[in-house]
Amino acid sequence: MADSDTRTDSPKSQMLVAPSNTWRFLDLRELWRYRELFYFLAWRDVKVRYKQTILGGAWAVLQPLLMMVAFTFMFQRIAKVDTNGIPYPVYVFAGLLPWIYFSNSISQATNSLVASQNLITKVYFPRVILPAASIGASLFDFAIAFGVIAVMMLWYGVPTSFTILLLPIFVMLISLAAAGFAVLLSGLAVAYRDVRYVMPFLVQAWLFLTPSVYTSAESLQLSRAVSLLLAVNPAHGLILNFRAAIFGTEFDAACLGVSTASAAMVFILGGITFRRVERRFADII
Amino acid sequence: MVKVSLQNVNVQFEVRRHGRVTLKEYVLKGMFRRKRNPVITVDALRDVSFEAHEGDRLGVIGHNGAGKSTLLKLIAGVYPPTTGKREVVGRTSSLFDVTLGFELDASGWENIKYRAYLLGETPRSIGPKMKEIADFSELGEYLDMPLRYYSTGMIVRLGFSIATAIHPEILIVDEVLGAGDKAFLAKARQRMDEMFQTASLVVLASHDLNAMEELCSRVIWMDHGTIREMGKPSDVIAAYSAQQAEQTAKLAA
Repeated sequence: MADSDTRTDSPKSQMLVAPSNTWRFLDLRELWRYRELFYFLAWRDVKVRYKQTILGGAWAVLQPLLMMVAFTFMFQRIAKVDTNGIPYPVYVFAGLLPWIYFSNSISQATNSLVASQNLITKVYFPRVILPAASIGASLFDFAIAFGVIAVMMLWYGVPTSFTILLLPIFVMLISLAAAGFAVLLSGLAVAYRDVRYVMPFLVQAWLFLTPSVYTSAESLQLSRAVSLLLAVNPAHGLILNFRAAIFGTEFDAACLGVSTASAAMVFILGGITFRRVERRFADII
Repeated sequence: MVKVSLQNVNVQFEVRRHGRVTLKEYVLKGMFRRKRNPVITVDALRDVSFEAHEGDRLGVIGHNGAGKSTLLKLIAGVYPPTTGKREVVGRTSSLFDVTLGFELDASGWENIKYRAYLLGETPRSIGPKMKEIADFSELGEYLDMPLRYYSTGMIVRLGFSIATAIHPEILIVDEVLGAGDKAFLAKARQRMDEMFQTASLVVLASHDLNAMEELCSRVIWMDHGTIREMGKPSDVIAAYSAQQAEQTAKLAA
């Protein structure tokens, strides 16, 4: 055969499966081998999302923009929020961006396994790629919408600082938190379809526990203890500090610490849950 | 070294008699009590052991529900063994569904790549084959269009062209694939033969006993999730046919 030479240099895959334990949650070598599948699925998710919409990819920008307008109206007129002198629209947009990335990742990942049941029952590939691709697709939207914030800062003449260079770290931490919830909820959604119906409410409530549209807990005159308790929600501390990095305002290191630890715990918990239900995906889905 | 080895493998599915129970039923009808909604364990495979090595052409026969597909899916990695040990060494590719995972909104070219990645190929390994796949499918400029505009026959042809262009070390096939119109069928047949010859190890399940005898070096007869007989194709197929004839006679009487 003409292709026999390409076959010999391709990496040998080895699958050695004993009853339990060996289904590791993160077989990094295997995931790397399937990276092209990940790109394709993420790209597919992006395409499917804007399929048959008139505005197409513009929705990636419009969604946070419309939310910004709504919240600006609500908070600027009705409830005053102390933003450290930063114009409220810019301020709220900087908080909504990571929030929308985080929440879209999770709600789309939740349904990712159930939506791909025809693949799961017919071919082997690392299942974790499915929720991961949902996050990848949301990250793409996030990157597009990020351009808008740069324009807004120029428009309003908001200064930034060198701390903006730290943003990739916060994006990574938010991705880690989202990944933890994504694997946890997508795995559960296979066994309990109820999860899917709970998600919209959960996301709504979650938004109000997250300082995307308001400032830190201090401005609401909550005690330090309460604000640290709120940081158990990974989105809380991460988004707070994400915004601080953009505007060069003061970081809340304690909140960041609590949220990062919490994100790591969710990631591990999600991973263990996923691994436990993964074995049974093919027969219960 | 290419190898498929199963040692005392059991695959069980747990099914509740009343299926998934809603919360209302759970509380009101007492479905949480085991007696009311017993867990039924289905033994899809029981104590299956065999080994296959390079050069083996393994055929799997048996009537519907005997565990053929489960066995194939176990080897392919779709189902994990409930107990026992499974060892599969070598690049494995399974052919259960020709139109597996096609994206209707993506073009033919994109779908070729997608399917290849699903089967564990990389851009490097699939790149040189793209043109060959396109040529074989005879779809020409249709490949630039989304699959949405393809006819059923065209989709099958594309699926078949991709599936058979990938040359795994271990090939797992459920039923020999029939594809498209007569002219394409002859081409397809030849292509399947080629694929069989290039793979180091083939596991094939089929109801076509003549084809099995012709293609396989060893045949496994599955019956109620266990291996009833394993050995030379002619012997096993003869025993299987005899049993089937007997059952038909029983039904007639």
